[in-house]
Amino acid sequence: MTADNILTVDGLSVSYGKFNAVQNVSFSVRKGEIFGLLGPNGAGKTSTLSAVEGLLKPQAGTIVVDGNDAASKPLHARASLGVQLQSTSFQTELFVIEVLQLYAGIYGVPASKSDLMATLREINLEDSAMKKFGELSGGQQQRVSLVIATIHNPRLVLLDEPTTGLDPQSRRQLWERIEAIRERGHAVLLTTHSMEEAESVCDRIAIIDHGRVIAIDTPQGMIDKHKSDPEVIAVSRRGRITLEDVFIALTGKAIRS
Amino acid sequence: MESSIPKISTVLKTLLRSDFTTQWRNRRAVILTLIVPIIILTTWKPFVAQLGGPFVLSNSITIGLVAIGLMGYSTSIARDRDKGIFQRLRVAPISSWSIMTSRLLVQMAMILMVTTAVFIAGSSYDQVTLTPAGYIVTYLTAVVGGALYLSIGQMIVGRIQNPETVNSTVRLVYFVFIMVGMFGQFSTNAELHNIVHWSPYGTVKTILASGMEPAKWDNDASMALLVTLGYTIVCAVLGIKWFKWNTK
Repeated sequence: MTADNILTVDGLSVSYGKFNAVQNVSFSVRKGEIFGLLGPNGAGKTSTLSAVEGLLKPQAGTIVVDGNDAASKPLHARASLGVQLQSTSFQTELFVIEVLQLYAGIYGVPASKSDLMATLREINLEDSAMKKFGELSGGQQQRVSLVIATIHNPRLVLLDEPTTGLDPQSRRQLWERIEAIRERGHAVLLTTHSMEEAESVCDRIAIIDHGRVIAIDTPQGMIDKHKSDPEVIAVSRRGRITLEDVFIALTGKAIRS
Repeated sequence: MESSIPKISTVLKTLLRSDFTTQWRNRRAVILTLIVPIIILTTWKPFVAQLGGPFVLSNSITIGLVAIGLMGYSTSIARDRDKGIFQRLRVAPISSWSIMTSRLLVQMAMILMVTTAVFIAGSSYDQVTLTPAGYIVTYLTAVVGGALYLSIGQMIVGRIQNPETVNSTVRLVYFVFIMVGMFGQFSTNAELHNIVHWSPYGTVKTILASGMEPAKWDNDASMALLVTLGYTIVCAVLGIKWFKWNTK
């Protein structure tokens, strides 16, 4: 681990019974970096993220978050993490402002109601403070989820497919918010199916398939490295090599479950 | 806003405020939990003269406790687990036990509320009053009895993942408890009477009735208390062992 790394995953393996979802995965996320985990369905992205979040106990490997070993100091590791899960749900009976109060409290953030209202104002949801989370649109829910994920100013933000189901406007807005997190000096680890998203916002990406990391590089570096591969040229559709062409060539054309 | 590990007291206070708010917004379910014991109390008024106030009050409280443990606790846990609410909480720097402690404390408050409501209704409608020691011991035995039904609820929600199946299962178990527990004790069949007496319904009813008259607490009540604690430990251990925080 170098001093620049905010997250170091080394030799991570996760199994569900006899099925090995993640096998000997290693990567690191540097300070001020947006790192993307790309892979087909069932490749092991969410399992990797769940292990980092502390929701899954890995069979092997180490995870170090901001200098804290996730196995021996789980609370310290989780305190440095902000998390947006794939399908986020909050207590359905609570108003948005109450959900924010709940998460400010459990992250130990001394935020008053007016502080939280100001936070909602920043994301144009001040008028929704007394609405229940389920009454918000998909884009509004994502904004609230991201605010909650970053309410304690974490060193590393984990986003599991954050733009799934969003319209282009909401997606662009979310990208800007993710980039704003990086500009504050924090790191972001996100999973995505979208090659456009990976190319647009990620500084580096790792392609994961069948539970193994098969490539790590910058998006452009990955294109440059593989653009002459016959498999990549064979799957290219637009006359120029894109990240999606490289991804398809590396992971195969077969549809995953 | 800097990250830090929050104090346990701050976490519990925050979780409790959230869980009590949720409970308050589910007032209809709370009222239903209170109404059934009160209905039993009022319809069984004729039994007060024949079988005594503690008999009627203990049955009413037992039904209330069953409703809290099965209908209230397990269905809310199954629903929140299915929606991923627990997973979201568990990625925060808080221990899993603090999440459950908060949930259980809310149910404990419900147990005290049901017991108090039965006391008030029993006093005003059936003119059944207890000694101060009787009230205190009954509150304690209600907590012990409530813990048994919460542990049964935990076992059900541990074994069954689907919230709809949990919902229908607890309704069925609740119905069985009412039918077998309440009416089985009137059976003239000695074997059935004995089974009901030592069932989770019967032992809780016994310690509640005995607690209402502490001076009459006997070996049968002590044995019922031990059996209740035994049931609670077994169900809680199995419920915790089987429990999964998510349904995926």
